[in-house]
Amino acid sequence: MIRVTNLVKYHGPHRVLDGPSIEFCKGQVAALVGPSGGGKSTLLRCINGLEPFQEGEITVGDLKLAGGRAPAKADLLKLRRTVGMVFQQFNLFPHMTALRNVMAGPVYALGRPAAEAEATARRLLDRVGLGAKVDARPGQLSGGQQQRVAIARALAVNPAAILFDEPTSALDPKMAAEVMRVVDDLADDEQFQAAMVIVSHDLAAVRRIADTVHILAAGRVTYSGPADEAFAAGGPVETME
Amino acid sequence: MNPRWPLAAVLLLAAAPAAARADDEKELRWGTDPTGGAPFIYKPPGSGEDDPYIGFEVELAEYLAGKLGRKSVPVDGLWKSLPDLLDKPRGGEKGIDIVLNGYEARDTLKAKYAASAPYYTFRVELIARKDEDGKDWADFRRPGRRVGVLGESTAADYAKRFFGEPAVDESDDVANVIGLVRDRRLAGTVQDGPAAVHFCKENPDLRTVGAGRQPGHYVIYLRKGDDELRAGLDAAIRDGFRDGTLQRIYRKYGLWNADQENLAYQHTGEWPEPLDADEVAAAGGGGGLGKLLPQLLRAAGTTVLLAVASFPLAVLLGLAIGVGRVYGPGWVRVPLGVYVEVVRGTPLLLQLYVIFYMLPKIDPVFALDPLYAGILGLALNYAAYEAENYRAGLLAVPRGQMEAALALGMNPLTAIRKVVVPQAVRIVIPPVTNDFIALFKDTSVCSVILITELTRKYNELYNFNRDLVVELAFVTAGLYLLMSYPLSLLARYLERRTGTHATGGHR
Repeated sequence: MIRVTNLVKYHGPHRVLDGPSIEFCKGQVAALVGPSGGGKSTLLRCINGLEPFQEGEITVGDLKLAGGRAPAKADLLKLRRTVGMVFQQFNLFPHMTALRNVMAGPVYALGRPAAEAEATARRLLDRVGLGAKVDARPGQLSGGQQQRVAIARALAVNPAAILFDEPTSALDPKMAAEVMRVVDDLADDEQFQAAMVIVSHDLAAVRRIADTVHILAAGRVTYSGPADEAFAAGGPVETME
Repeated sequence: MNPRWPLAAVLLLAAAPAAARADDEKELRWGTDPTGGAPFIYKPPGSGEDDPYIGFEVELAEYLAGKLGRKSVPVDGLWKSLPDLLDKPRGGEKGIDIVLNGYEARDTLKAKYAASAPYYTFRVELIARKDEDGKDWADFRRPGRRVGVLGESTAADYAKRFFGEPAVDESDDVANVIGLVRDRRLAGTVQDGPAAVHFCKENPDLRTVGAGRQPGHYVIYLRKGDDELRAGLDAAIRDGFRDGTLQRIYRKYGLWNADQENLAYQHTGEWPEPLDADEVAAAGGGGGLGKLLPQLLRAAGTTVLLAVASFPLAVLLGLAIGVGRVYGPGWVRVPLGVYVEVVRGTPLLLQLYVIFYMLPKIDPVFALDPLYAGILGLALNYAAYEAENYRAGLLAVPRGQMEAALALGMNPLTAIRKVVVPQAVRIVIPPVTNDFIALFKDTSVCSVILITELTRKYNELYNFNRDLVVELAFVTAGLYLLMSYPLSLLARYLERRTGTHATGGHR
């Protein structure tokens, strides 16, 4: 579904991604783990078209982004409408209510009628446990609640893949648990067929939900394999630096 | 709303009145500056707004208009720029046929405009207090003695040559200079003869010193090519000297003297007969502040109109420029940056001058009525400041907001419009409101393009009502405060309201 091939990305002179190749499959939860600065978040941002890259290739369905070339605007829009993203800092729109935040994608990006978008938004907010907070603005919500709205917002455009960029690292453990319950719920939902990629330092949570694990260190993939194997005693996760 | 529509509407509205007046040929529209004061054109103290102007040039204009079969219509402007009004089309609100306001025959002006035969001979006079030592001009040319003049006048040129530039203080306001002489802060002042006669008559403690100097002629300026009008004016002036009409007018204001007899002789070839009885100048009076207040209120209305019409345009244009500077490609950013720097770096006064006086010289289609030129000038000027406010606001919105919008699949324009701009607008409410209040006060600059707003009306009234200077100043300041204070309250309300939005009511 999502295929990353020999991706090279520089930040100035620094080679942040040094040719990793990874595949993320439909209906599976993939975890990207590894030391800070290893390139995990950058890889997600490249997949979503938020960062250009210099070499390699990213394929999402029938869309292809090639390194060193600015993608066509239409391709970029299509890519972003296919791949949803949840940010570490939530990035909710502070001037909109929770409901409006979730409606923003369908209405402003997909051009759906407001009534239809509202019905979807209410259903999704209900699903993340915030059915009673539809009219609250982000500033009136806790961090955990905001991240749950952000997840509902990403789901609202019905993406084929959803990328979680350290969704709990800005939260205290209690709120982080709230958010991970929502992610768990999505991972367990047989109906939900989107590929999920999660970057996280919360290894316990990752172990619970991930089907596959990829370890990224110094811009390279040092391990790719099933979660059971990755988390086995003395396995690659335990021994990674 | 499309930001271009209000601008187009203003331009369309501007064109309408000009067209409506274009065929009105029955008027003799004469440019004058009533704030220049007596005895040229003025209102007696305490006059109401509808009371007519008086003055020897008012009566002269009425006489000339009558001779030409027209109706005399004074058009007020700034003295220094009255000839510029001849460069504008005749039909606009400030369109004029002639300049008649103590303008001397000067080669630089004659090169550009046609001039009538002289209608008055003036000399520059030195005015001093009666108790000030000195019998002649030379007695005032001593260290420590300073004289005041009206800036950029013939009297000023002469005073600088005679007393030396360091001893001469220039002012834009004759009445102020006279006040300084009376208060002993200046030894004297050099003025044109008619003004000297008037001020010595009004202030018994003042006198003229020695004989007047450097005789010169007042003439009427008109467009080159207006030969018929010029011939008509010349004939009327000649006839006026011959039949005693001009002598009668000049005597009424104490302005008839040997120089005018000589001028009459030059025009007619005959020495005029002295008239027996002087007509006394009709002086109105009474009324006080109550009669002036409606005039100030009406002018305050113009101030409000200028501010309320121009600021929304400035905000829309400023927002567009700000967005262009932050998100536009290089070929958009560079010219917008130049616009902002040029407009911020040059005075509003100069910009209004360019819009009102210079653009019509390029093409008459740019000839806007003063009100529309004022609105346009203020809008274009404040747009540069608002653009910088919005640029700061846009840059203050966290980068993640734009990324989140793009990640949802919005195209960049939609992301800017729906996500970034609404947040930036909230951030910049305090500086934008501050600018609105500042603009209220900057509307006073529009007086240079002949809009009678509050400050100009105050200037005019206090020239004619020197005993009410303090009261007028307080009322004017109070009116400005009354206009700006509600805006401060509105700003605070909006800040509170949007602050709640931004922070979720934690404040």
